Amino acid sequence: MGIGLRGHRAYLTFLRTAIGKVRNAHPTLRNFSFFFPLPSSFFPLPSSFFLLPSSFFLLPSSLFLQIMKFSVIKQRSLWWSISAAIILAGIVSMAISWTRPDIRAPLRPSLDFIGGTRLQFELDCTKPENCKPIDLAAVREVLDTQGLGGSSIQVIGKEQRGLSLRTKTLDVEQRTNLQTALSEKIGAFAPQSTQIDTVGPTLGKQLFTSGLLALFLSFAGITVYLTFRFQLDYAFFAFVALFHDVLVTLGFFSFLGLVQGVEVDSLFVVALLTIIGFSVNDTVVIYDRVREVIKLNPGQSINQIVDDAVLQTLGRSINTTMTTLLTLFSIFLFGGETLKYFALALIVGFIAGAYSSIFIASTLLAWWRSRTGNSIPVPIEAINSSEEV
Amino acid sequence: MQKQRSILALIFVLIIAAITVIVTIPTRLGLDLQGGSQLTIQVKTTPTIPKIDQGMLEAVRRIVENRVNGLGVSEALVQTVGEDQILVQLPGVNDPQQAERVLGGTAKLEFQEQLPGTEAQLAIERQLQQELLAKQAELKTSNNEAAIKENQAALKRSNEAIAKLFKSSGLGGENLKDAQPQPLASGNNWNVALVFDTPGGELFAQLTKNLAGTGRSIGIFLDERMISSPVVGVEFAQAGITGGSAVIQGNFTTQEANDLAVQLRGGALPVPVEIIENRTIGASLGRDSIQSSINAGIGGLILVLIFMVAYYRLPGVIANIALLIYALLTWAAFVLLGVTLTLPGIAGFVLSIGMAVDANVLIFERTREELRAGKTLYRSVESGFYRAFSSILDGNVTTVIACAALFWLGAGLVKGFAVTLALGVGVSMFTAITCSRTLLLVVLGFPALRKPQWFCPDLSKTANS
Repeated sequence: MGIGLRGHRAYLTFLRTAIGKVRNAHPTLRNFSFFFPLPSSFFPLPSSFFLLPSSFFLLPSSLFLQIMKFSVIKQRSLWWSISAAIILAGIVSMAISWTRPDIRAPLRPSLDFIGGTRLQFELDCTKPENCKPIDLAAVREVLDTQGLGGSSIQVIGKEQRGLSLRTKTLDVEQRTNLQTALSEKIGAFAPQSTQIDTVGPTLGKQLFTSGLLALFLSFAGITVYLTFRFQLDYAFFAFVALFHDVLVTLGFFSFLGLVQGVEVDSLFVVALLTIIGFSVNDTVVIYDRVREVIKLNPGQSINQIVDDAVLQTLGRSINTTMTTLLTLFSIFLFGGETLKYFALALIVGFIAGAYSSIFIASTLLAWWRSRTGNSIPVPIEAINSSEEV
Repeated sequence: MQKQRSILALIFVLIIAAITVIVTIPTRLGLDLQGGSQLTIQVKTTPTIPKIDQGMLEAVRRIVENRVNGLGVSEALVQTVGEDQILVQLPGVNDPQQAERVLGGTAKLEFQEQLPGTEAQLAIERQLQQELLAKQAELKTSNNEAAIKENQAALKRSNEAIAKLFKSSGLGGENLKDAQPQPLASGNNWNVALVFDTPGGELFAQLTKNLAGTGRSIGIFLDERMISSPVVGVEFAQAGITGGSAVIQGNFTTQEANDLAVQLRGGALPVPVEIIENRTIGASLGRDSIQSSINAGIGGLILVLIFMVAYYRLPGVIANIALLIYALLTWAAFVLLGVTLTLPGIAGFVLSIGMAVDANVLIFERTREELRAGKTLYRSVESGFYRAFSSILDGNVTTVIACAALFWLGAGLVKGFAVTLALGVGVSMFTAITCSRTLLLVVLGFPALRKPQWFCPDLSKTANS
């Protein structure tokens, strides 16, 4: 603890009062103060890290609670409408997608699910005179003569030397013919940079069914586990929240498929399963707390209990999602083409998951329990689990 | 304190062991990272064979393996998947055209008759073939592509030379009903018993009658490669081997007899195979993927490290140390368990870095709450760990349930993701709870570090208000 540090502390105190003043100024400004307490981040000293006010971050738990006097229950119709609107938009997008002749499915399926061949080539730049931008028209002409007129063609790469083709399922002869014809027309390809994906239509169906089956199984597994750990209604609403997250992600990707041509592949199913596995975490944390608060304050109304539980766990709900999102953003930005949309699906699903845990699963539980008048059951495990240390 | 010391020692030992493992054992990279071809072969049913059983699938796998060996790819892998599929991995193959041509199609098993006057030549060629095969097995483990190719070409020439010494007898795989290894009454040697159908039995009798006592042999060819060349004893010169069954004697070990029988059965199966999936990634694309996943991993790790220190202060530092231990241990576990790292697998690992600190977030938030409630620092830390445990467990169990569903039903690449994520969850239970708890308690042993505001920055404010 040096002398210099005391100086920082004085400065910090000054900053805190300054921020405090802003907060006291006006109700709308108060909320804004969360978004610009950046001056405190100008400290270059590592030791000052420990002294940064937690307002450095967008949602410091305790301040947030005190100032916002925030209640999930009171505004539940707002939360429900937001979710309903997003899900509805997603369903509309899926419906439009279904009617589109080039998709004919709620989401644009990749060849993983419907079969087909995807070829990616890159011109071999080690050969002289070989490396020039690829002419799309020339490629289309080759494909037409090969009887593959309806295929999608994309010229890729910064210098337009890459080619990505998506055709019906080609066998080895057809593929070789196509490759030879293309090489003759536009130049030799580098075998080291070639990518081939061929999936037969039957295998596609198989992948699709096993993906769906895996989704249902994990839904069922988690619901059973939660019923065992909590109670049936907890489990049911956690399930609703999960379903919500999956629907939001599906809708989002259906929309991306419509406007950006983004396809969903087996990795997308993996993402959905991971969302199911992870998003329930936040819900469990809140339900855990609800159970604990019910035990501590047996006389309270369920609305109050849920409000308290959500507020007390808000910081951790946001932060657990935050740490995971940080790694996902890293994968999204640096992880390369294959993982990009995988990471995006997880990002969308996890954000939806945090939202549904905080705003949907909790309010639904409160609504149900106050409706059925069953607000104060104390399960035996709850008593055990919250024993004092 | 005594208990903490021993845990600390354990952690230290584990770290050293992990580093040793990572440094000494090379990580197994999937085809999407090292480049290569992965083919899925569907074994098709026919009207005569409406269902593929495990024995048939194994026989077909052996056929496919034979053909793959003919390609001369180092470290190729052939395994059965599910009820009627075979997975072939060909590392380093940029263009699988040749493989696809060779691997498709029904197996062809033929029993041929050796031409007169070729006895000496056959012996020489067989000798050469054995040598080349031995050399091939030896080369397979090395990465000497050129030598493998050269040996392969020599082997092909040898096979062709042998084939020239035989003529067709009309007896083929469709006539063979069964082939089984059979122990000899005495000694450890095994034979292979053959059973033919009725026309096959007649053809076989004719063939053996022609060859009995001449010293010339029956050439058994699978996909035009000789797998066995038995001679027929002089006692059958009159009528040949009749009755539709025969025994190949060759002083076989159990394994050799079994292998020959499986090959014969596979050759007798009239099931066509078709390549239904081909995933090929060029080596340089794989290298790019490795680079970008390293970037993603390091980027994610740094972001999480910064976040934890900035938000949770001293406990954040502890959590970061635990996280680094987590990354080391998990990586070592992958290497040790022989997990093949694929691109989705790495994504699972990077993702698990973000999830591994979740437990710490839960614990530290709880600690802060207890501090605000006026408990002492030590008690707050203790009850933070104790009370967050049930949430952590629930959260991890649900993730593992999803992983199990993935692993059970997912295809190859997807399985990698499930394995890495589930392993990560398991290791994180140890590092985020046991490791960080021990480290935190050790830190609390230093009076200079026992500052509640380093655990909960706005503590005084909360207490005042």
